[in-house]
Amino acid sequence: MAQDDTSSLKARIAAPGAGWKWPQVKPSFWQGLASFIIAAVLWEIVARVVVKNPLFFTSLVDVVERGIALWQSGELQTHIWTSFVEFAGGYLLAAVLGILGGIGMAASKTARGFFDPWMSMLYSTPILALGPLFILWLGIGMTSKIAVIFMVAVFPILINTLVGLTTTDRLLLDVGRSLGATPHQLYLKVRIPAALPYIIAGLRLSVARALVGVVVAELFGARAGLGFLILQSAQSFDTAAMFVGVVILAAAGVGSVALLKLVERKMAPWRFENVDD
Amino acid sequence: MTDAKPAKLAIRGLSKSFRKGDTTIEALRNLSLNIEAGEFIAIVGASGCGKTTMLRLVDGLTEPTAGTILVDGKPLENPGKQLAFVFQQDGLLPWRTVLTNAVFGPELQRRDMAQSISVAQRFLRLVGLKQFPRHYPHELSGGMRQRVNIARALTVGADILLMDEPFAALDAQTREIMQAELLRIWSETRKTMLLVTHQIDEAVFLADRVLIFTTRPGRLKDEVRIDLPRPRDLSVKRTPAFTRYTDYIWRAIEEEVRHSIEAELEQA
Repeated sequence: MAQDDTSSLKARIAAPGAGWKWPQVKPSFWQGLASFIIAAVLWEIVARVVVKNPLFFTSLVDVVERGIALWQSGELQTHIWTSFVEFAGGYLLAAVLGILGGIGMAASKTARGFFDPWMSMLYSTPILALGPLFILWLGIGMTSKIAVIFMVAVFPILINTLVGLTTTDRLLLDVGRSLGATPHQLYLKVRIPAALPYIIAGLRLSVARALVGVVVAELFGARAGLGFLILQSAQSFDTAAMFVGVVILAAAGVGSVALLKLVERKMAPWRFENVDD
Repeated sequence: MTDAKPAKLAIRGLSKSFRKGDTTIEALRNLSLNIEAGEFIAIVGASGCGKTTMLRLVDGLTEPTAGTILVDGKPLENPGKQLAFVFQQDGLLPWRTVLTNAVFGPELQRRDMAQSISVAQRFLRLVGLKQFPRHYPHELSGGMRQRVNIARALTVGADILLMDEPFAALDAQTREIMQAELLRIWSETRKTMLLVTHQIDEAVFLADRVLIFTTRPGRLKDEVRIDLPRPRDLSVKRTPAFTRYTDYIWRAIEEEVRHSIEAELEQA
């Protein structure tokens, strides 16, 4: 490992700016892809040979066909757009208020004393169970969904921001002080950069929770959205359409988590030096 | 040396006590010493003798219970500018490159950046890291990171360098090399050095004077002037004179080490 480090260092010195190379695809990528293909084939076999009743299970080909039909009717776009706006609204609100709240709580001991019990309580409460209450208060439209998504997504971001800002390595703070940093500079140039990886990890954790929030909030009562599509198709025994909703949500989840992992790697490469290979 | 010229760094009656639960721990008691400009001082002592505490007090990282620090005869005003600290662990900011780490001090002190960067580059060259300005700390070995740590302290431009066991985290061979490098850097920069170490041979090899501390509360027990000729290289470690110094210091310290081990056993 250490030898690899120095040899790559030497390579970089010997050939500065050696040009851009295609990112190396790791074996784990091909393994993952192969496992997806095998799963798809198995799905098709089960649907065609084992469970022939399309009410209980449906072939992947049917799901794709149903998806195309829904797209052509324009219905699918409405659902995706509705869910996307709800997700984006709730998640962005959670990100902004979570980070600001975390900064505020890290800065003030009094604020921590006041809000810490609430934070712990609400974080461990299954807030989704309050979904019907939000619908009652805020109506069947998007606002209630945004509120639910905000509530489930805000706490991982808030807590990670707070932990990231309050667990700064003492040595780094000493280094800053020794070099003459003012308290303000210590915050800006040491604490916040040191907390960034934590904040991004919080954002990543919240994506999955927010997606669950979208679906569940829509199940409680909605006029459109992917969760609504799933509920409505299940109730009308349109299993293929239900799977269309599920597959799109799964893809959105995988895609956004992968994106945030990439951001994490770009912003804090030192935290991953022993993870790859 | 005339009496009229004040010492580069003077420590007067420095004391520090900590409160730990109900008990008060006296880490350092009434320490006074003078260090001349360009002098290399090493401090040795058993663990818990307050030597790291003393460095932190001098650098203003910890508030003293009593005592004053004088630089050139005047009370210390701006530790960030007048003193530079080399930490035991490198303490490099992992999100900054070698160069931006090295220039962190002047950046915090809002000095002219273009000029500070060329100063940093000069010291990176001096510590042998000229080719690595854009590398991140996690891409460097422990020894290279410690070199950046030293370059960062030098870039501050202070006349006095405080070093807290700077090579303790390195393996034995790298440590030997770094000791020789430090002597070279010292002879080129003529800084006043105050180095704390566990290694008696390191202290004798580097210093003009070795100060021996007692265990808690830390006080000055003995002082040894090292009259080995300069410039020194690593071969001096195999001379009889060198061994005489290390033996003498070890005998002075042995009793203290035994006391500190016994105290630890009693606490456990």
